[in-house]
Order: sequence, then C-alpha cells, then structure tokens
Amino acid sequence: MSCDDNKEARAKDRQKRRSLPIVTAEAPRPSTATAARAAPRYWRSIEEREAAKAIALGAVNEFPPGADELAEGSVSRRGFMQLLGASTALATVGAACRKPNEKIVPFVRRPEELTPGNPLHFATAYALEGFASGLLATSHEGRPTKIEGNPDHPETLGGTTAIEQALVLGLYDDDRAKVLRRGGESTAWRVFLEDTKARAERLEANKGAGLRFLVEPSASPLLGDLRRRILARFPMAKFVSYSSTTSDGAAEGPRLAFGQPLVARHDLDKAKVILSLDADFLGEGPELPRATRAFAARRAPGPEMNRLYVVEPALTGTGAMADHRLRMRGTDIPSFAAALVAELATDTPALAPLAGLPKSATFDQRWIRALAHDLQRSRGSSVVIAGRRQPAAVHALAAAINAALGNVGSTVTYLLSPFDGSSGPKALGALVEDIAAGGVDTLVITASNPVYTAPVDFKLGQLLQRVPTTIYHGVYEDETAAVCGTMIPATHPLETWGDARALDGTVSIVQPLITPLWGAFAETQVLAAFLDEGDVSAHELVRRYWFGQRPGDQTAAFDAAWEKWLADGVLPGTAAQPVTVPAVDGQALATVIGTQLAALTAQADGLELGFVNDQRLHDGRFANNAWLQELPHSITKHTWDNAVMISEATAKAQGFETGDVVALQYRDRSVEGPILIVPGHADDAVTVALGHGREGAGESIAKGVGFNAGVIRTSDAPWYDRGLKLARTGDEHKFAITQTQWTMSPDGRASPPPAVDATLAEVLNEGSKFHEELEERRGPLPTIHEPVDYSHVQYKWGMSIDLNKCTGCNACVVACQAENNIPVVGKENVRKGRHMQWIRIDRYFSGPIADPEVINQPLGCVQCETAPCEYVCPVNATVHSDEGLNEMAYNRCIGTRYCSNNCPYKVRRFNFLDYTSEYTAARMMGTNPDVTVRARGVMEKCTYCVQRIERKRIDTRIAGTTIKDGELQTACQQGCPARAIEFGSLNDPGAKVTRMHADARRYDLLHEIGTRPRTAYLARVRNINPDLAKVD
Amino acid sequence: MSQGAHIPHEDTGFVPERYVLAKFATSDALLEATRKIREAGQGELDTHTPYPVHGLEKALGLGRPLIPTIVLGGAIAGAFIAYSMIYFMNVLDWPINIGNRPPHSPPANIPITFELAVLLAGSSSFFGFFTLARLPKPYHPVFQSESFRQASVDGFFLSIKIREGESPDAAAALAEAEGATHVEIIEELER
Amino acid sequence: MSAAPSSANVSRDPLEPTVLIEGAQTDQSLNDSLLNHVWRGAGRGWWMLFGCALSALGLLLIGITYTLYKGIGAWGNNIPVGWAFGIINFVWWIGIGHAGTLISAILLLLQQKWRTSINRFAEAMTLFAVICALLFPLLHTGRPWFAAYWLMPYPSVQGIWPQFKSPLTWDVFAVSTYFTISLLFWYLGLVPDLASLRDSSKSRTKRIVYGIFALGWRGSGRHWSEYKWSYLLLAGLSTPLVLSVHTIVSFDFAVSVIPGWHTTIFPPYFVAGAVFSGFAMVATWMIPARQFLGLKHVVTIKHLENMCKVMLATGMMVTYGYIMEHFIAWYSGNPYEQGQFFKTRWHGPMQGIFLTMVFCNCVVPQIFWFKKARTHVGVIWFASILINVGMWCERFNIVVTSLHRDFLPSSWQNYAPTWVDISLFIGTIGLFSTLFLLFLKFVPAVAITEVKELRHEMEHEAHHASVGGGAGAHG
Repeated sequence: MSCDDNKEARAKDRQKRRSLPIVTAEAPRPSTATAARAAPRYWRSIEEREAAKAIALGAVNEFPPGADELAEGSVSRRGFMQLLGASTALATVGAACRKPNEKIVPFVRRPEELTPGNPLHFATAYALEGFASGLLATSHEGRPTKIEGNPDHPETLGGTTAIEQALVLGLYDDDRAKVLRRGGESTAWRVFLEDTKARAERLEANKGAGLRFLVEPSASPLLGDLRRRILARFPMAKFVSYSSTTSDGAAEGPRLAFGQPLVARHDLDKAKVILSLDADFLGEGPELPRATRAFAARRAPGPEMNRLYVVEPALTGTGAMADHRLRMRGTDIPSFAAALVAELATDTPALAPLAGLPKSATFDQRWIRALAHDLQRSRGSSVVIAGRRQPAAVHALAAAINAALGNVGSTVTYLLSPFDGSSGPKALGALVEDIAAGGVDTLVITASNPVYTAPVDFKLGQLLQRVPTTIYHGVYEDETAAVCGTMIPATHPLETWGDARALDGTVSIVQPLITPLWGAFAETQVLAAFLDEGDVSAHELVRRYWFGQRPGDQTAAFDAAWEKWLADGVLPGTAAQPVTVPAVDGQALATVIGTQLAALTAQADGLELGFVNDQRLHDGRFANNAWLQELPHSITKHTWDNAVMISEATAKAQGFETGDVVALQYRDRSVEGPILIVPGHADDAVTVALGHGREGAGESIAKGVGFNAGVIRTSDAPWYDRGLKLARTGDEHKFAITQTQWTMSPDGRASPPPAVDATLAEVLNEGSKFHEELEERRGPLPTIHEPVDYSHVQYKWGMSIDLNKCTGCNACVVACQAENNIPVVGKENVRKGRHMQWIRIDRYFSGPIADPEVINQPLGCVQCETAPCEYVCPVNATVHSDEGLNEMAYNRCIGTRYCSNNCPYKVRRFNFLDYTSEYTAARMMGTNPDVTVRARGVMEKCTYCVQRIERKRIDTRIAGTTIKDGELQTACQQGCPARAIEFGSLNDPGAKVTRMHADARRYDLLHEIGTRPRTAYLARVRNINPDLAKVD
Repeated sequence: MSQGAHIPHEDTGFVPERYVLAKFATSDALLEATRKIREAGQGELDTHTPYPVHGLEKALGLGRPLIPTIVLGGAIAGAFIAYSMIYFMNVLDWPINIGNRPPHSPPANIPITFELAVLLAGSSSFFGFFTLARLPKPYHPVFQSESFRQASVDGFFLSIKIREGESPDAAAALAEAEGATHVEIIEELER
Repeated sequence: MSAAPSSANVSRDPLEPTVLIEGAQTDQSLNDSLLNHVWRGAGRGWWMLFGCALSALGLLLIGITYTLYKGIGAWGNNIPVGWAFGIINFVWWIGIGHAGTLISAILLLLQQKWRTSINRFAEAMTLFAVICALLFPLLHTGRPWFAAYWLMPYPSVQGIWPQFKSPLTWDVFAVSTYFTISLLFWYLGLVPDLASLRDSSKSRTKRIVYGIFALGWRGSGRHWSEYKWSYLLLAGLSTPLVLSVHTIVSFDFAVSVIPGWHTTIFPPYFVAGAVFSGFAMVATWMIPARQFLGLKHVVTIKHLENMCKVMLATGMMVTYGYIMEHFIAWYSGNPYEQGQFFKTRWHGPMQGIFLTMVFCNCVVPQIFWFKKARTHVGVIWFASILINVGMWCERFNIVVTSLHRDFLPSSWQNYAPTWVDISLFIGTIGLFSTLFLLFLKFVPAVAITEVKELRHEMEHEAHHASVGGGAGAHG
C-alpha cells in the first residue's frame, strides 16, 4: 500500500482514537518547537494545557528553525534551561508518541495497520560493533516498548543480547542530550547547516586538508557511500574509525596468514571440537546470537555433541560453558598457541614450519596433547577461535591451524573486512599525531565518546581543545561533549533511518519506530551536511542511496522492493561471498610471528593487568542504562560496579580480601578499585572491566558508578600487559552482589544440589547412577490430597530450561525486565537484597575454587501446582488459575510478604520502596501497557508472561483456532539466543516443552518438597575428553 | 415530653421509695440478720458488701444464676457463625484453587471457629452480667447515705426496700434488734 | 514447698505459700495501704520514669510515621528475610501478655490464693503488651491502609473474601479476641475496686470520675452472685484462649515449609516460651513496684519465689523444645533442617544471637534451683531481665535466622536492622511503660477486693484451725 492510503487510514482512525497521539503525516519535521506546539493537543488537565500554550510559545521562541535571536544570548542560560526543561517535558507528552512521518512498514507476519491496543512489530537493525543484528521492535500506539530478534536475520536468528534488550530504556532516557548547542548556547539545525556550508566551501579550497572525521567502525553501505563522496570532495580529508572494543590484532592476524585483512565467521553448528583462545564468543561480539544458537544446538547429548575447550584468564560466559577450561594469563596465551601448533605439527605437516616458535611459559603437555588429538581427530569439524584481546600472532596461528586442519570453508569462513584498515589504537594514534602537529582544523566526531574510551596516553581530551572546530555527534552530554565546541544530539537507533550490514554481509534497513523524542539528528545527516545535503532527511538519504543501487529500477518497482526490505528486515542476496583463502605460507609466517612472539614473550614480570569490556556497559556507552547497571554480572553476580578481579591464590599471596580497595599502579599511572576474588581466575593476573567510572556531565545514572580503568590503559597495551602493582589503600568497598553464596552447599550441607550436571558417558549410560538420582527428582510424590487434574483444560502451561544450553548471557533477565515493567532499585537496595528481576540466573560453582565447574540455572517462578505461597496469603491475592498458573492480583496484595517467606525458591519480589512514581513522562512511554506498573508495598513475580498468553488467546479465539505450539513465547524464551527455554502446553503431546518434560535429563528443582513445579530443568552435560578424564 | 413542662411537680404522682439501711459490724452478723429479716418478710432485701460473702445468696434466697446459660448460648452462636461464615465465603460463594488445597478443609477452620466462640461467650458473660445487674446505674437511693461509702471498704450493709404505704419504722426496729451498729432511713429523691 | 509446714496448711495445695499477707491487716488498713499509691501525688521518681517512657513513645511515633511515609523499605527486611523486627516484636509482646491471663485465669481456676495480690498487675501487663503487639501485624504490611480492612470478612467491591487457610487470617481473629477478652476480664475485676476508689476518694472530681467508671457498683448481694459466675466463666474462657492464641501465632511458622519453621513442636513450645517471658516481665516490673508502691505486705517474697518456680519450669520446657528441634532435624534426615539447626544456627552469621538465647533461656533459669536465688530480689530481677532478652533472641532465631538461609543457596542474604527497626522496638517498650505508669498512678495495682476476700477467708480458716496453727494470716 502506498503512503497516501496510509495517511487516509490514519486520518479515519484518528476520529476513533483521539487518545492515540498520532499526528498527521503533514506535520512538519520534528523539532522541540513542533513538539511543544503539538503538546497541548494531549493535555492531562486544563492547567497543563494553558501552561503548555505558554511554554510552547516560549519554546517556539527558543527553537524556531533558523531563528537567531538566541545567538545574542537574549535569554540567560539559567532561564533557557528552565524553558528547555519545560518544553522538553511537554515534548515527551505530546510529540513523542508519534510514528515517523515517513512510511515505515510493519513486520510482515503482523497485522498491517495499527489497531488501538494491539502492538505492531517492525523489523529494524542495530549495529553495536559495526555489524548489524536484525531486530524486531514492538510498538504500542507508536511507542516502542520491546526488542526481539528477527528470526529471518541470518546473524540474529531471533535471538538477542542483554544490551539489545535494554535499548528501549536508552531511548526514553531523560538524560539524553536534547539541544543542538554551540559552546554553551543552543542553536538551530538550520544555523548549523549554514555554518557547515560556509566551512565546507572554505575547506574545499585546500582540498579539505585539516578536515578529519572520527567515526565508529561501521559496515553501513550508506555511511560508506557518504564517506566516499566526502573524500571525493575533500581529497585531503581523512576518516578515522575508532572503537576501544576492536583490536588491531583481529584484523591483522588473517592478513599475516592470508595476505589480506579478513573477518573470520564461525559456523559452530558444524563444529564438533571448539577451542577458544581467550575468545568469549558466547559473551560478546557480533557473533554472539548466532554463535550461541549454533553452539547450543550441538549440546544435545550424543555422539555429535560438541566439546568446548577454553583457555582464558578470567572466567567468562564461554569459559563457564567449557568442557575443559585452562585458566591462563592472557600474556601466556600466545605461547600456548605456539605450543599447541608445535604439538599439532607432529601430525599435521602443514604446520611443521611453525613448530619452533618461541614460548615464554611451559604448559600441561598432557592437556595440550589431548586437545591436539581431539582437534585432529575431527579435522574439518573443529575450530580454533582467537579472542579480540589477543595480538595478531595468535589470530594468525588460529588461522593457520584452521587452514591446516581443513576447517576453513566448513567451520570457519573468511570474508572481506568492510572496514578500511584498522579501527583500533593504531588508527587513532595517527589522528592524534595530526592534531598534535596542528594539522587538524575541523574535527567531526561521530564515534561514541572517544575522549573516555581512547587510550590514556593519547591525552585526547586535552588535544581536542587545540582543534579550532570540534563537532561532536553524541547521545549524551558526556566526557567528549564537554571538550567539543559543537554538540549535536544523536538519534537513538530506534529513532532514525539508515542501513547496516551484518557480519555475513546481509544488509538491513534501519527504520525508526518513533520520531526523535527531543529533536536529535542522525549520523548520516551530519556527514551529509558536508555535502550540502544536511537538509535532506535521513529517510531520504538512505532511500536515495538504495534507489541508486538499483539502476534501471522504476520508482514503483523500487517502492515494492523497498517495502519488502522494510517488512522482512533484510535485503535479499546481499550476503557476502566467502573469500577463498590461499594456502598459508608457513615459513614466511613463522618468521613474522617469530619476531612478534619473541617481543611478546620478553615481558616484564609482576602481575598481569588485563582489561575487558564490561559485559553490560560495553565500552561505557550504556553506563546510563539502569537496566544494564543493575544486571548481575554473569559470573560474579555483582551489579552497579566494576572490580579488580583476581584469583583467590593471588589475593591470599598479596593479603587481599574481597572488598579491599587497592591502588593499581601500572607504569607511572594509578587508579583505585575494589578487589573481587573470582573463582577460576588465572593466578598472578588481574582483570578490570572498562566502561565504568563515567564522568559525563549529562549522565546522572552513570556518574560515579565503579572506577575508570581506562586511566591506566595505554595504546601499546590496550588489553594485556605485565608489571602491575597492587597497593592497599585501607578503604573498604561493599559490593552490591545478588548471589552471595558461590557454591551449592556453602556450609557443607548435604542437601541435593539444586543444579545437576553429569558427564556425557553417564548420561548415555541408561543404568548409570545419574539416571537413578534424577528418577528420584521427578514424578509424583505421595500426597494427602488429590492433585488437581489439569488434563482436561485446554492448555496446561509449562516450561523447560536446558541447563546444557544456558550460557548465562542475561538476555532473558533484561527481556523479562522490559516485558514486565520491572523497576530498578539502585545499588544500595541491591546491597540490601531487594533486587527485582523476576528471572534470575543462579550460578553455581563446584569443585576447587581455583578451577571450578560452573552451572547456570535460570530461575523464575516455577508455578508450583501445590504452591506454598498461595495458602498463606490472607487476602487471596495470589491464587491458581485453571490452567495451572500461579497468579498475582497486584491490586489485592497488602504486602504481608508471607508468600515470599514461604516460597522455597525465593522467586517473589517485593516493592519495598516506591520505585516507579518518579518515572518521567518519557520513561512512562517505555512501559508495556499490558502489564501493571506495581505500587509500593506490593509483591510481584513471574507469571509466565500471562499478558502474552491472554493476548494470544484473544487472537486465536478471534481467528477461531487454538494456540499452536511455538506460536506463543514468553519474553525470556523469545530473548534467549541459545533456545534453552521452551514454553507451551503440557497437554499438547507434540509440544517441545512436553518432549522436554519427558526427557531423560529432566528433573524438578526442590522436587522433594512436593511443590509440583511446572518448570522442569534438564541436567547440564559435560563432554569430557577421555584423555583428560582423570585430570578433572 | 413537650407537655411535661406544664405539669407541676406535685401533680406527677411521684411516690418516693424508702429504704432502711442498716450497717453491721461483721459479715457474720450481716448474714445472720439477713436471714432473720427475710423470714420476717420485711420488704425487698439487698446486701452491700466490699467483697462477696459466702452464704449471702442463700440468706437472700436468690435462685440459680443465669450467666452460665447465657455464656453457653454465646459460645454456640460464635462457633456456628464462624464455621458457616468460612464455609460460605471459601466454599459456596467463591471457591478458588489455593495451592491445590480443597476449598473445604475442616482443620483450617478450627482456629477461627474456636476464637469466635470464645469471643462471643466472653462478651456475653461480660455484657450479660451488666444487663442482669441493671448496671451502669449511677444513682441509687442507698448512695444518699454518707456512711454507705464504707460499703466498698469494710462496711457490711443491709438495705430493706419498704413497701408502698408501709412505715419503715418496723423494719428499722428489726434491724436494730438484729444488732445493726447503725440504721438510717433513706427516701428516694428522684427516679 | 511450704516454708513452715503446719497442721493448718497440711491440707493446702503444696504450691500454696504460707505468708501471703504480712502483718495484722484489717479491711480498712488494706484498703488504705493498697490505695495509698493512687491517692498520694506523683513523686519525682514517677515523673522521671514517665518522662523516659514518653520520650521512648516519641521514638515509636517517629518510627511509625517514617515507615508509613517511606514504606517497608525503611526497615532492614529483604528477600529472603521478608519478616524481621516487626514479627519478632509482635511474637515477643504477645508472649509477654500471656503471663497476665495465665496468672489471673488459670491460677484462679486452680484456686491458687497467692495469685490475688499479683493478678491485677499481671492482667494490666497483658493488656498493654497486647496493645504493643497489635501495632505490628498492621504496620509490617506493605499497604496497611488496605490491610486494615481487607483482612476483615466483609463483602468488598472486589468480591473477594479473606483466605481462611492462612494463619495470618487466624491471627487476626485470635489476637483481636485475646485483646477483647483480656480487656473485659480486667475491667470486670476492676469494677468493685473502682467503687471503693470512688467511695474513699477525697475530692469531688475524683469521686465523679471514678464514679463513672465504677458504673454505680454498690456491692449488692444480688450482683455478687452473678458477678462471681461471670468472672469465673471469663477466667474459664481465658484459659483455653491464652493457650490457643500463642498456638495460632506459632502456626504462622509451623504451617510453612521453611526449615526451622516447619515443625509440629511449635505450639506447646511457643506457649511455654510465652509463659516464661511473661512471668519474667511480671517479675521485672513487680519487684520495683512493690518496693516503691509499698505493696511488700501483699506481694511477699513468697509470690516472687513462686514466680521463679514457674520460670524455672517453663525455662526447662523451652530448653526441651530447642533440644527437640535439633533431634527431629537429625532424626528426620532432612538435609535442609539439619543445615538450619546444625550449621546455620550454631555457625552462621547470626551465631551470636543464638548463643545469647541458649545462655539466657537455658542456663540462667537454672539458678532458680537454689532457694537463695529464688528469694533474693536482686537476683530475680536481673535474671528476669536476661530471660526477656533471651526470649527476644529466640524469636529472632526463629524468624530471621531461619529465613536468611533456606533452600537455595543462591537466594541467601544477610539481614541488618535499620534505625527505624530499632526505634520501633524501643518505642513499643516506651508505649508499654507509659501505659503501665499511668495504670500504677490511677488504678489500684492490687485487686483490693480479692485481697480483702482472701484475708477474710484466711481469718476464718485461722479460726477453725488449731490455736498453734502457724497459718501466717495472723503473722
């Protein structure tokens, strides 16, 4: 259907649904002014309406497009802030809830046009580290409220990450930059464009020498095109892409091996044996959703089950899933790789030239031999993955091994890197030199907060002040904004048009779910401004570009294609062809790597300092996202913090305890942070997470949380170096940890382990003790009253969670938080034990604290059939539904907390304080209208997403059908990239969940109490290498 | 009420009750006198003692007290109300699946049934007594006697309500004869 | 038991002490001496105590206001420790209340004459303790403004009824019944004394005020005959009531599944504990009271000694309860129970509280085996205070220690009270003291009527007893 129909349809609808603040398509492009003007159409009280008029006028005077009064500073800064505050508040009420004026197309599987109360789902994409993952965004009356993965997207496959799940909260963050300002004064986009036009002409004169762009590494075709056109206009200008998360090694390694910069893409569903060299592929990076899915898919016990070896310093999500894990300092891993190659070389001639590489340490030969044999035994179906934190040499060796074992083309394919050259410290260094030499006169920064993320020795913050003109395009008034002349508020990914390319090359069109809440601008527009196209909308830019990509296409035909792209979320046939790589020249490689390894192995002694991206805040760009701040770390379960992670042995040796604040003295720099002893951490090494200790002026949530490890991070050692010293400061720090007990029986209790694991051998052997034990942990128990018979109801809801698939990635936790309007409680309340997440991931260690085995056990309400919580409630506020749900009547609850006391699983959450009344108008828009926002003093808990059940029930009743298996997903299930969670009706014999409940690995948590839980668990299986069996 | 104002006091036909109030030294003396005077059949007797004196009920010729019966009634009513209330609310009116427990589970009903029985029994005992005793009654002719203030301290009194038209003197004399330490005649002021 | 056995009291109940009223007393002298503390103006001591009590009461008001304003988050509670100080204090106060009813009701039925001089005192304590206890069930809920009436079975617009399988619903009925009956019982016993207050009051206003409360009591023989029954029946009803109340309170825990709560021994062990703490509290207050109110001649050392014996007995019952808990945990083979009792209680973070409890409740009462201790006022007073502390710790162990480590180690959390918790606790002590001091100021602390009656009876017995009958009634 065309735009016009769409307009008419809305115009018609508008009569019916005044309440739905949807503005006509003719409305001018949004700015705070229009926002303010639009506001009074939807007032909550007469007073507000009058006030709105008044302030709207003021606001209009503030930001008429291209008005100049303000330039003379007619309004005092303070008064300006007041008006700004008021008008933006109104903006959120009024303008905010508008669908964009341009036509955006719902995800095809959903109803075509918006009906009040029924959410729409739109396919879009989000690129975190330059590569896109395809998403589906749920929109209620034009307000995006929930993110899901796009099942049709090759890199996402319907899964999501915790960070993607939390995007919604970021969109409605009131701390976002709201004003386009020059210095301390707000200005208008039009003014900025005129300035830029003038500047561009001036720069053109000297071919743009002195013009620099500092951007995020991005595979977006449109951005690439803009870049090319800008360089065509300013041949002397330079684009520098920098991200603190990408390392030069990853790009450099394949070049060493194959002669050109390539990106490795791993197909783990083909991999039987996986070796991770410090690669947390299940915990971070653009491959996360697909890798997790594929890895989990091959965890089914049987001959084809994969085996994961992990070599890493600090325990990661990947390490927690390992069948065999070797804790090792990051600086030793290159030597380990060399040693492995040497071992492999004995049976693999192709690697022979590499056999004699230098090593700095000696390793457990037995381990290496077993590993090597395992890799060789499954040639073509094994894979070695090198981590981004490892130097080029390791990546090169990994490439060499994969090539030698014939894995290239099956488990690993190489693609041309969409990035031009490095996007690590090396690239930034060049720019820094330019600036220092005074060669930069105009610097446009669209990279995310480089002043904070750049290596400290670059002193970027100070240098930027030397640049005559600095233009920063960012989401927050952060550290970078503080030192930049011009600040352009950046659009949130859900607010803007654009395109993005996934790791495999597939292109997605990024379509917005909502017009910018506070009049922000897209990166494409900022770049286009230098082509005198700044007044072209982001939508027009991307549409034009792709129209250009389809020569000979008639507009109509293109429109059709365009709509299909938007609806599907992917552009067909855009996937890149794998590069056929040449054979590795062993000799040449050996010489290159040899020297590098020699350099690496000649290391200073002392503790190893290792940096890692915070698994929640990434490089710090999500530090203002409370959902992520309060998300328990997948291993340590600490929230609202980063820590000096250290092994118990090392801590003992140095005389530290968890909570001791120490000074990390590295070279001539030092930073203070609290010690956190982590099981399974390598000895003589310390791991600190980046992204904390933010000081952005505009970021109220991020401010002062954790410490900034970046201040001792240098460009020559961005990830690992030795020579760290720890000195106690005498201060104590109290972590906010959600799971204080680490092991399953902390005081030596004899209670049956809550989370069960077994070796593959035990699982495959029918008669083994494992099966006997599980037999006792499921099935009916003797009871004095007849259990209610649910076999006749239409649906008997049940869930199953496969511990063998769960990587503890936390996606489900945030998904649940977004779906169910779960509030955050803040650091102090987490300390007190009042965190609210309905589903928590219990993480249990077993075995020695130095080398523990880990099990992740996600636990929401298990919906006991004989629920202990129900019969103790004095007011019938929690009762059973006829389909077996344990339901909460929030408005009936008086908050005795008796139900929680009597819950053996302690999955109930209580609103100890008023967590929601301070929601801003913007934040409110992010809430799911299908779920109550709970009041103070009310108990709450998981209900198997009853709102989704009921919505689906309504849909199917209208359609006259019944809910088929798989049609209905809970939020946690849908968010899970590993597909570890199944949900459905246990009365449907064909349903996945029913099959899981019948699985031989099934057991019920706390079965012996007789609660008859509806959530069943499938035991974790460890695929032990027989050669190493005795070691474990 | 309204026309009451027009009626002159002397026309109300108000005949004041008259009492003979006799004080005795010891409870035994009181006991003795009471028995005698009752046999003599002098008006309606009542005794006033600081604490219950054993045997006075018999001396006054009082019947079995009613309180126990009243209390029993209260207890039964309480138990019945409680159980039927629970049964109606949780079984008949809106039975809900509460953690797989049967809607009607007698053991769970015992506590409240018992408590309500005790509550109603206890209340009926308390209020039953005050109803039977026609208390509170702030004014009573005997209070006119200044010496009666000893009745709650250590005085043992006998009050004889004189029948209408009879003279109190006989009763007074009898009381004297029975060894009352102090006798006075009280005329009711109002009613 | 009896100190000076004699032909006179051979027939007596062995618990019966000899010296219940010291000195040669007449009704008049008893009346004067027992009312003395009401008539004479408040001394400086009283005002000082009252000042302290009021300031503590102030804390209570602050605590309540802040809790209502901020929410339960103002307390230290969390998940899993959903209940803490609120419920501990509730159970503690209710327990203390029990001594009163027990003394006045059960001892009345057992015709223990020695009760008469302390029952009024104890009953008053019951009332005030229950008032303190009643604060918490309401205050500890997340939304007291709803809890106040949603717990009541009335046809609400929601159409939902209370859930009668919940021990909390039972509590509502049990505690409110207990309060009502205690109040009626106390007042009924008070009426004749109020009459004698009225009659012996000097000023007109006092006379009027007491006259109003005396309800026109004139000691009529017709009234006495019904009164005795009414009083006796109330006593008879209170006896099973007092046992049921703490039984039902114990159901709050016993009915649940939590290791440390889920045990059948709770009802008897709670009742024993209640009497234990109750008598301790009576002793704590009675000892100074008899000193300063000049009641030594009616509240004799014999009374205190008897109370010590009761404390010793109930202390042993409580100890037996603790032992049983451990035994059952071991014998049942339930790993969670075993973890709770053998690991958490003895070695967990709350270890200190547990050991304090064991010392105060199990060790301290043992000194009452010795007559020296039983008859030494200072020792009794100190011991009684320790016992109150111990009983509070017991409730802490049951409520918090059991909750903070239950089934899944992943959900375990530690607990720490906030200033609000503490001020609420001190506040209730303030409320209790305030009420008590007012009671001592305006109402006879001893049931005068009953004491007179007792004196009367003993006089008779003395007459019928042989001349040498050393029945101390004559002293």
